[in-house]
Amino acid sequence: MLFHTVKFFLFLAVVLTLFYGAPLSWRRVILLMASYYFYMSWNPVFILLLLTLTAVDYVAGIWIETNKKRGFLIVSLVANLGFLGFFKYYNFLSDNLAHLLRFPPHAFGLSIILPLGISFHTFQSMSYVMDVYRGEQKAIRNPIDYALFISFFPQLVAGPIVRARGFFGDLYHWKPPGTDEQLRGVLLVVLGLAKKVALADQFARISDSYFQNLAAHPGVAAAWSGAGAFALQIFFDFSGYTDMAIGMALLLGFHFPVNFRRPYLASSVTDFWRRWHMSLSRWLRDYLYIPLGGNRYGRLKTYRNLMLTMLLGGLWHGANWNFVIWGGFHGALLSLERIIGRDRFRGAPGALVYPFRAIFTFALVCVGWVFFRATSLADSLYVIREMFAGKAGWSGFLIPAWLLCFVGASLVIALGEEKSEWLERLAKGPGWAYAAVITVLLFSIELIGVTDKPVPFIYFQF
Amino acid sequence: MRTVSVLLGSLFSFLSLQALVFNAGFYSAVLKPDSSTGTVEAFLRNEKRRKVENRNQVLAVGDSRNGFFPRYANELRPEIGYTFATISVAGTTPRCWYYMLREVDPTTRRYAAIIIPVEDYDDGEVWEDYANREADLHFVVSLLRLGDLLGFSRSFHDASRRWEVFRGALFKGLVYKQDFQDFLLHPIARVEFVNLSRTGSSDWFYDYVGPTRNMKGLGVDWSTGRITVPPGTTPEQKLEYERHFLPPLPPQRGRRSAYLRSWFEKIYERYRGSGTRLVFIRLPRGPIVRPDQPPFNPHSSVRELAMRPGVILSPEHCFDSLERPELFMDQVHLNGPGEAEYSRMLGREVRRLLGPPR
Repeated sequence: MLFHTVKFFLFLAVVLTLFYGAPLSWRRVILLMASYYFYMSWNPVFILLLLTLTAVDYVAGIWIETNKKRGFLIVSLVANLGFLGFFKYYNFLSDNLAHLLRFPPHAFGLSIILPLGISFHTFQSMSYVMDVYRGEQKAIRNPIDYALFISFFPQLVAGPIVRARGFFGDLYHWKPPGTDEQLRGVLLVVLGLAKKVALADQFARISDSYFQNLAAHPGVAAAWSGAGAFALQIFFDFSGYTDMAIGMALLLGFHFPVNFRRPYLASSVTDFWRRWHMSLSRWLRDYLYIPLGGNRYGRLKTYRNLMLTMLLGGLWHGANWNFVIWGGFHGALLSLERIIGRDRFRGAPGALVYPFRAIFTFALVCVGWVFFRATSLADSLYVIREMFAGKAGWSGFLIPAWLLCFVGASLVIALGEEKSEWLERLAKGPGWAYAAVITVLLFSIELIGVTDKPVPFIYFQF
Repeated sequence: MRTVSVLLGSLFSFLSLQALVFNAGFYSAVLKPDSSTGTVEAFLRNEKRRKVENRNQVLAVGDSRNGFFPRYANELRPEIGYTFATISVAGTTPRCWYYMLREVDPTTRRYAAIIIPVEDYDDGEVWEDYANREADLHFVVSLLRLGDLLGFSRSFHDASRRWEVFRGALFKGLVYKQDFQDFLLHPIARVEFVNLSRTGSSDWFYDYVGPTRNMKGLGVDWSTGRITVPPGTTPEQKLEYERHFLPPLPPQRGRRSAYLRSWFEKIYERYRGSGTRLVFIRLPRGPIVRPDQPPFNPHSSVRELAMRPGVILSPEHCFDSLERPELFMDQVHLNGPGEAEYSRMLGREVRRLLGPPR
């Protein structure tokens, strides 16, 4: 059940009706049942996996709090990483092993279906257990509450990765959303939907046509526009999904953290990672980079920790060497920026320098996306070669002018947002302004949205 | 309370913009003239603009097989006394004709007769399920009103198609989407094309002369199922001819009959008592006529309708003389000379059936 389908909106309408129509004490159960139904609508069998991990971490949380023993933490982490490793990385590892041992390519491979959202809910579970171990979070005694934390449908399959403290804060001090929150919630759902179907899916057509047939699109212009199209696709796709998730949570009285803060306006790669998939970046920082030592043990170890964190962050996205290289590329850039001078990449640059730095950063990020999108290392290298040494000229440019106009409009909106966050404040503003924005969004969904065949969200595969 | 009022206001604002753009005709200013919707709009606009001095007007509906060109029939006006016009658009079906007629003749007082061509008088079955034809939505989307939503979408068979059609008829932008995106690619060229079409399409359509190529040399040995094609026929064309002439006809299931009955009935109800007569004609069937014609059906949609006042069935074999390879350009369409001859014959036949003009 994809977020941008009629079926999902019917489901959401039923959930909202039941949720607000039911007595307060039933509402958690309603949300839990709705979340399980949502998960099972994809593949009912995998509910067993979700239930198992929920049970393991629920029990582990209580035992860790009661006994203060590291062993329970290890059991929980092994269970989570074991399931994640098996479903997501088994074939990757076995194929590489087969290659090393000179066996046929899939000699040890298994036919494994990746359970929906496993990367997200395992990370969320692990953060809870580690927080309990660190004493930063009380163990949850009510199994329904804990199960809801893991399976809450707006963020179950692709985040944002919610921290236990924030979620249970909302749950235990639940207040119905006020007028502004309701309006903001609806706005975010419509905005997210517009980002997804009107922009991401349009850019998907371009990037798919490029990456699926590289030989048909030679030249610098085609390579940069193909990579740029994917950069815009993945941003509008993922941030669209996140907007919808945050909006739906708001309508249910929950507050999810911001996951994107205009990442393509970043003035450096360091800045980019403060703006892109922020809930994952925070997770990696708090549960990987800092435990590895962070920047506390000298420059070399800092670079090592950065590289390790980004390599694992890349691998988290998918079991493929391309993702590892993508992570490594970003790790190298982050380290390089530290070598050049951390202060240079802190804070906002001057007005004159900023546009150049933002464009340069975007170009670097586009180069990284080539590894993320291409289906093989050979394809990635081919695209990179075309980007920097391909045939010059504009003739192969793939993005039509009208779509560039929409990008231009989005850029203006993003720059305005950067200064005053006016989109966020729209809910508090005059009703006509809100209505005008909703009208434009709905109209763009209607006229340029790809609605004939829903295109799955990119991050659903992770 | 504010939430409800702001959200309702937003919805109202969106629906108003919809109505303004798609129902008040704003979108027509950029609609591609040779698209399905654009062609229908152009024909209807030209017909509505045509100056009509009396009610001795005869309008033809139909699809590409109705090669009726009013120019040839109107050349006989001194002899016939009626003025002919057409809103026949390739690809349209009886369901489309109903909405097109409603648009072009809102008072039902404009025409002396409407010519409705059919392939046979026996409701012969075809492989395609006309009732489920999604393209119909694209032809008539600009003509649909809010009140048509349920009736139009329920006239399709399966639930998913009904939903698609309902959604498209309600949010017309979903249907215009591809056209709009094409417009965005070359907006200036589109506007120029639209303007050119607005000023010139009436004459283009009226003065159009069909192609002269013909099917001389076409032959079918029905006993062996072997087909002889005219010289110069491509393998693809030959395959088309084979597909048309050789496979058995679909079994009679009554599906097409129900469809035709439903839409002809609607057209009839619309014109009942209006003084406009409905004239059904059987089209020339092709350059060669298959021996396995649909069985005689005394209860077919048109035969039953013909028993009612104001409905005329022209003689079934009226145009048989045109069923010759030299008058067809392919397996179903008349060529230029065939269309000219058919148009003149139809003009005279209508005069004979209607009697002298008033």
